[in-house]
Amino acid sequence: MTAAVEVALDLPLAGGRLAVQATLPDGVTAVMGPSGAGKTSLLEAVAGLRRGARGRLVVGAAVYLDSGAGVALAPERRRVGYVPQDAGLFPHLSAEENVRFGARGDLARVEAAVQTLGIAPLLGRHPASLSGGEKQRVALARALASDPRLLLLDEPLAALDVTLRERVLPYLLRVRDEWRVPVLYVTHNAGEALAVASHLLLLRDGRVEAQGVPLDLLATAGFRREAEAGLENLRVGTVSAHDETGGITRVALREGGEIAAAAGRDRALGSPVTVSVRAEDVLVATARPAGLSARNVYECRIVALVRTGDDLTLRCAALDGGTPWLVRVTPSAVAALGLATGAAVWLAVKSHSVRLL
Amino acid sequence: MLAEDLGVVAFTLRVAALSTLLILPPGLLLGLLLARYRGPGRSALETLLSLPLVLPPTAVGIALLDMFGGRAPLGRWLAAHGLEVVFTWRGVVLATCVISFPLLVRAVATAFAEVDPRLVGIARTLGHGPAAAFLRVTLPLAWRGVLAGAVLAFARALGEFGATVIVAGNIPGRTQTLALAIFHHHQIGRDERATALAGVTVALAFATLWAAGWLERRRTRRLSV
Repeated sequence: MTAAVEVALDLPLAGGRLAVQATLPDGVTAVMGPSGAGKTSLLEAVAGLRRGARGRLVVGAAVYLDSGAGVALAPERRRVGYVPQDAGLFPHLSAEENVRFGARGDLARVEAAVQTLGIAPLLGRHPASLSGGEKQRVALARALASDPRLLLLDEPLAALDVTLRERVLPYLLRVRDEWRVPVLYVTHNAGEALAVASHLLLLRDGRVEAQGVPLDLLATAGFRREAEAGLENLRVGTVSAHDETGGITRVALREGGEIAAAAGRDRALGSPVTVSVRAEDVLVATARPAGLSARNVYECRIVALVRTGDDLTLRCAALDGGTPWLVRVTPSAVAALGLATGAAVWLAVKSHSVRLL
Repeated sequence: MLAEDLGVVAFTLRVAALSTLLILPPGLLLGLLLARYRGPGRSALETLLSLPLVLPPTAVGIALLDMFGGRAPLGRWLAAHGLEVVFTWRGVVLATCVISFPLLVRAVATAFAEVDPRLVGIARTLGHGPAAAFLRVTLPLAWRGVLAGAVLAFARALGEFGATVIVAGNIPGRTQTLALAIFHHHQIGRDERATALAGVTVALAFATLWAAGWLERRRTRRLSV
């Protein structure tokens, strides 16, 4: 993991101060914490929108802030893509004009951003006529089109209801996987953090309470309830085959391997999809299962075993690589099967438990 | 309507238009200042700006006379440079400028204050400096409000009486605006002509205010989410 962002920030706030020291890896870093912990202030300070920020801030090779050396880049020179919770679209411009706003005439980039977010049909419309999810997608495209060194997303899914959230989430994963931009992602939702992020920064009262691998931090008090709300495994891929007689749609996963889903015959071959498997829908076996109806079986090793609420959650690394699986198990199952970190396990997922988003 | 009356109407419209144009640049600047500046002296400035709204216009007229009259240094200096103010059309414009200026500034300040500063911040993160962000985001979002303020100032200038009569007098063919002409005709007993001119004034004011309201309604509809 290369350090994408180095933060050593000190910022006076209305009710205290923000003092954040962190080294963030490439990929998505989720920023969580109670209201008033300073999450939005952190994003605004990184974007250069907060006066009075002191310390040091380095993104890739660019020094945004170095108070000691008298360096403080203006926001327009930082090249960050900032998407606030309400999307912050310019109401007097069409969706297309919004996306082009920061693109400096780079139409190829605009086109690529429009493709990734699937907003071509929305381009002629004004923000007032867009739904919450559509606004978020346009705002994400606008941020991407400006060729950012860093994306700052402030609860992009929080203002949406659950079904809308599920429609925006796949786009968010595509941005993560296709655009190779480090992302700071503020969220209240632990499931979302697990689905999207590889690193987690927990803030409390303007300070870093903990940081590390998302699942390992979920046991921290205050996040159990969110963790129980629904952990899911999300994978991005493309439809590779329809097995008409078998009633199965095969999805080739971007990170390798494939997964079979019962639904999805309406998806065109080759079209991008996001699959979701809830953590409680994954079966665990300590030996290679035989005579099992589940279509998807993965050989894994347990890398972590974390208490989440009344249950335990396993993080299992597949032997052929890729994103670790999250598996919800009861304490009695852990005892009966003798599950422990380092143990070899086989995970099984019924094709009916695989949802296509 | 008599040719003389048409001349009065034309003169009034010209004065109102000129004074509105003159106060627009400083009005924009001061309005932006009031909308964004939160430091010391702000409320003093705001109060000072509101004074002409509540003072009797005749008091404003006397104050202007004391500044621009022949015995005042400023007035003497201007007269020496060929710019007589008192009892000329310039006095009329000066009076309408001062009286309508606060209306414009307040409307402009409100229009700028309604622009979400976060949108300006986002424009900055998208690579635009402060000036470009102002031109591409702040001004387009506020311009209908600015225009409505200008129309309001124009309407106020159309009907100005008190300050004008003191600074510029009521000289037919030279400084006589609609409001002054109505008073003049009434004084000498020509009430029909006073009434006719009053009707013209009502029509002009109605058209102007209706235009302002129309702009305002379009702005709200366009930007409501």
